[in-house]
Amino acid sequence: MIRFDNLSKRYPGGLEALSNVSFELEKGEMAFLTGPSGAGKSTLLKLLMLMERPTSGTLLINGKNLNRLSRSAIPNYRRQIGVVFQNHQLLTDRTVFDNVALPLQISGYPASETGRRVRAALDGVGLLDKENLNPLTLSGGEQQRVGIARAVVHKPKILLADEPTGNLDPKLSAEIMAMFRRFQSVGVTVLIATHDINLINTMDERIMYLENGMITDDGVRHGHH
Amino acid sequence: MAITEKTNRETPPRGATGQKFRLADRWRGYRAHHRATLSSSLGKMLGEPIQTLMTVLVIAIALALPSAMLLMLNNVQKIGGDLESSSQITVFVAKLAESKAVEGLALQLEDLKGVISVTYVSAEQALEEFKALSGFGTALRYLDENPLPAVFLVQPLLSGETGVSQAESLITSIEALESVEDVQVDMLWIQRLNAITEIGEKVVLAISIALGIGVLLIVGNTIRLAIQGRQEEIIVVKLVGGTDAYVRRPFLYTGTLLGLFGAVIASFMLIGCFIWIGRSVEILASLYQSQFELVGLGLSGVLALCAIGAVTGLIGAWIAVMQHLRKIEPK
Repeated sequence: MIRFDNLSKRYPGGLEALSNVSFELEKGEMAFLTGPSGAGKSTLLKLLMLMERPTSGTLLINGKNLNRLSRSAIPNYRRQIGVVFQNHQLLTDRTVFDNVALPLQISGYPASETGRRVRAALDGVGLLDKENLNPLTLSGGEQQRVGIARAVVHKPKILLADEPTGNLDPKLSAEIMAMFRRFQSVGVTVLIATHDINLINTMDERIMYLENGMITDDGVRHGHH
Repeated sequence: MAITEKTNRETPPRGATGQKFRLADRWRGYRAHHRATLSSSLGKMLGEPIQTLMTVLVIAIALALPSAMLLMLNNVQKIGGDLESSSQITVFVAKLAESKAVEGLALQLEDLKGVISVTYVSAEQALEEFKALSGFGTALRYLDENPLPAVFLVQPLLSGETGVSQAESLITSIEALESVEDVQVDMLWIQRLNAITEIGEKVVLAISIALGIGVLLIVGNTIRLAIQGRQEEIIVVKLVGGTDAYVRRPFLYTGTLLGLFGAVIASFMLIGCFIWIGRSVEILASLYQSQFELVGLGLSGVLALCAIGAVTGLIGAWIAVMQHLRKIEPK
């Protein structure tokens, strides 16, 4: 589903954020991307979001080369991915419902269908009773769950998350991770960038360790239960 | 790039007629989105009433000023046209012309193209008239013979802008007729008036262009501020797959609405002014025994002004959006 082939990203000024990164994620696979800050986790996600373009190498999504995607094709590509952001990226001028509905409105869904899907997504993250509130009135954990609902409301095949448990306590973090697992169990390919090594070590999932722009370790770590 | 099969992902299960419903649903969704964008743009404008009112008023003044000048010019042209059509050509008959020749001349004049009526004033009639009107009656008695020639008063058909040139060709053909001594017509002032209104038109055009650019800049600046204020939203929308057109749309609506509201207020200003001035014009016209009435904006004028305002607003917004929206990309 996701394949990096010798991919490098060099920023103007010479900083090489990623060098010769290669890995593959199967459909329905879940993986964590970890490593010290500045190792290139965010850059890797930005390449997947087409917020950045690689300097060299190829990035294949479902067998198709992202390098060949023109600027005008980017919106349609992004509609097929769900993203959970570290800082939630919720809009504070509208309700929880309208925040979650945004990807559907952008894709032109009719109102009735939008309402049905938004409520299903909010139900999935346990926030159905908060749909008319402003995100500002919610706690950090609830805001992150609204972000997750928005990321999955259009049923993407790929779900990306950048530090989704950033400022949450261990209990809330575990809840959020359990949610990602649920999406994986229904066939969504999930890639989560996080520095929360203690948490992911308990999850028996594939972990890719990124250091100085290179993958130095890739595999499932068992134990620590 | 389709990661998934689009129909599966984006269509609710509808059975055999799924495709048909899908298109209809899409179209309905698209229209609903436009309605929602329009009302949210309107809502955002009304949410800042003072700011919106100030912008709209500036636009209204910028639209009303050249419109008022154009209307004034139209009215001046109308006065010119009214007077033009009342102008007469005086044809002096040669003194030695025989009565038969004079009769022939009358027929020839009537046959000329662009002549409405021909009135014959004989030398005697002219003298009587002169005696009565001038007050030199007694002095004229000392003259041996009537010094006045017989005259034809020719009423030309003068219409619109081509009036002057029509009249000029008419005069040339009258001058070419036999037994015609001289042709007199006071065309010069008509030409002068036309020259002045022509200058007026150019001045109005120049001012319109300048103020039109002003409207573009006002709308552009307002939209630029709106874009800056919604930068966060634009980034999120782009991240979840909003197209450029989707991001652009609310700003284009805002610009169009600003221009339209400006035009509506400008129309009210102009209508009010013309009612106010119209009363004075009526009094003045009655003093001149004239039926002249001030021509106002009219319904078609209001509609045209609204269209111009809306389109100018749209263009102004488009320029601002083109300049600023592309720079805002998620980082």
